[in-house]
Amino acid sequence: MKRRTRHGGLVAWGFAAPALLVYLGFLVYPALNSLWFSFTDWDGLSASYNIVGVDNYTSMVDDPVVAQAALNNLIWAVVTVVVPVVLGLALAVVLNGKVRGKPVLRLIFYTPAVLPLVSVASIWGWLYNPQYGAINAGLRAIGLDSLAQPWLGQDSTALGATMVAAIWLRVGFPMLLYLAALQGINQELYEAATVDGAGRWQQFWHITMPGLRPAHYVVIALSVIDSFKVFDLIYAMTYGGPGTATQVMGTWMYFNVFQYNQAGYGTAIAVVITVVAIAVSIPYVRSQTKEASA
Amino acid sequence: MNDSVLNRRRFLTLTGGATLAAGLAACTGTGGDTAAAPAGGSGNGSKELRLFTYEDNSTIDLVKAQVKAFDAQNGTTTTVDSLPGSGAAVYPDKLRTELLGGKGPDVWRIWGGQIGAPFVKSKQAMDLSSYYTKFGWDTRLNPAAVQGMTFDGVKGGVPFIVNGIGGWYSQAAFAKAKISAPPKSYAELEDMNAKLVAAGITPLGAGGKYGWHVMRLFEYLLETSAGPELHDKLLTGDESWDRPEVVTAFTTFKKWQDQKWMPAGAVGLDPADVELWYVQGKAAYTITGSWTEAQGIQAGGKKSADFGVFTLPTDHAPDRHSGFVEGYMVNAKAGNPDMAAALIDFIVKPDTQKALKVTSSAVTGAEPDKSTLPLSYEYSQGAGKQPFYTIQDQAFPKKQADQYFAIQSDVLQGKTAPAEAAKKMQDVIKGWKK
Repeated sequence: MKRRTRHGGLVAWGFAAPALLVYLGFLVYPALNSLWFSFTDWDGLSASYNIVGVDNYTSMVDDPVVAQAALNNLIWAVVTVVVPVVLGLALAVVLNGKVRGKPVLRLIFYTPAVLPLVSVASIWGWLYNPQYGAINAGLRAIGLDSLAQPWLGQDSTALGATMVAAIWLRVGFPMLLYLAALQGINQELYEAATVDGAGRWQQFWHITMPGLRPAHYVVIALSVIDSFKVFDLIYAMTYGGPGTATQVMGTWMYFNVFQYNQAGYGTAIAVVITVVAIAVSIPYVRSQTKEASA
Repeated sequence: MNDSVLNRRRFLTLTGGATLAAGLAACTGTGGDTAAAPAGGSGNGSKELRLFTYEDNSTIDLVKAQVKAFDAQNGTTTTVDSLPGSGAAVYPDKLRTELLGGKGPDVWRIWGGQIGAPFVKSKQAMDLSSYYTKFGWDTRLNPAAVQGMTFDGVKGGVPFIVNGIGGWYSQAAFAKAKISAPPKSYAELEDMNAKLVAAGITPLGAGGKYGWHVMRLFEYLLETSAGPELHDKLLTGDESWDRPEVVTAFTTFKKWQDQKWMPAGAVGLDPADVELWYVQGKAAYTITGSWTEAQGIQAGGKKSADFGVFTLPTDHAPDRHSGFVEGYMVNAKAGNPDMAAALIDFIVKPDTQKALKVTSSAVTGAEPDKSTLPLSYEYSQGAGKQPFYTIQDQAFPKKQADQYFAIQSDVLQGKTAPAEAAKKMQDVIKGWKK
């Protein structure tokens, strides 16, 4: 009886069944299918293929683009998680205070997050145009001609330039979550701290930051997972170039599966991306599970 | 070892746990057991066809009108779907996704060479040899174009366009730089570039994202330094790339960037944005095909008379240009392959080609209209009659073409010296030929 109650009984399984079937049919089955193809040399079009064991995985070790893409992914993850989260927190704290035009400012800062990624890529592509783009035009207008660069056209700046666009795009999301979380912190704590002589900085570290702990989990975990899925912005802004300078694992997987007729190898890359993403998201899932069971 | 359904099913059963579920779904495909069967069936006699193409707004209505005329004659209903502006970098992906995800279109437009090859090799596209005989296409179509749609001896496509790449320029830009006539030799081309830079005009509007213009420039420089015979042998891997002629081509290529004969950071610019700079007054000329007259000059409200076209001079005989083929393929699973072939036959009739305003048709008797497309006509009667070398996106498989472009990109950025680039390119070719 106790066991039955703990697992919710047949009724609960009955309610869950439709969603489970969809999950099995549209996620688990295709996923395992992909895992299977990672052990083959399928070209992605032909009716037949050969089983090659773990060759696709060992080939990744010798593929210089995989090493470059993995490094780019790491750089991307660190920069596009840390910078938007810090900026988003700063903006949230400012906008949570006494600032004029708060609703308008919130709208302005959040707007990039709702724009289609291809539009964002086009906007930044034009801004970065070496001859007619606003960024170089601005630099030239203030006498900094030497700083004008072909931002997306050279290896040294291309990845950084795409990350700036990603940061612009992503700041709004943590800002919104932190704003919501800030409004949940009891104001009496700040009043008491002020009476006790605590400065703003002390209040931030000892009241605000601990009060935002649950929000930190959500923001950081979702940002990290999002950063591992990077594909569209790179694809639309640089197409992985110049050369392979801005390739990330997602785009390199795509190139192999869809453009180089190496679906087996490409799916092996997809498997690796998935394993890494799952490993990174374990702390978040555990924290959520603990919260739910508490 | 060949796959069997049983093996895959056993694997799927054994791995029934969902441990790796999340995320992998984004990269799935249909199984090998569900892919196309080889051509040969006569289909189900369906009267419904679907044509997939990449026409843009300037031509899609013309295609639809001609398809409607075909339907009226044959009692068919043909749906036309288009993915405009996607280019060879994206359109084949969409096509292959359609083919893997279901039945796919009955007829599709595609580029020749290594872009069309995978569809024939995988037997997704039908062998059209019997229809070549039935409709007499061999005698009605440009033989070089037919060759571009023949893959390992299989006639997998029907060409209707043979595009030649030339220099398309603005008369106003030339006048401003006091250039009286287009160049007749490579030395004159360099002089012309220098005059344009001195006049404050960017000579070549070139964008290298996806490899396009930048690779067009390099293949021209390679033809100039290597000459026709050696160039062809390099493309087929019959001669080593690690040689002085290739080093010269890379050296000259870098010179174009250093002398500002093309925009700074050209490798990162989108060709779709840059190609029309010569029409918009931002550059003097570009390297492109005849489609630019209808889709660039005239669609932009400009007069053809204000522009011109010249052959990029190679100082060799014959004075070849870069060229490529486009045509149609028939789905190996088409419900009515006879009708699909009949649709293609209708499209490659001279009258249909003229109605479609094809500026560089592979069909005998379908030259561009001199009165409406004077520059395309001029090109077709001059350079267009010269032999061409295969555009290098079509000469190499996509992977090798991307590696080739990566080397070009490194040379332009000064990361790789020309001699080293020649060696690296030889490694790419060796890897391909293995």
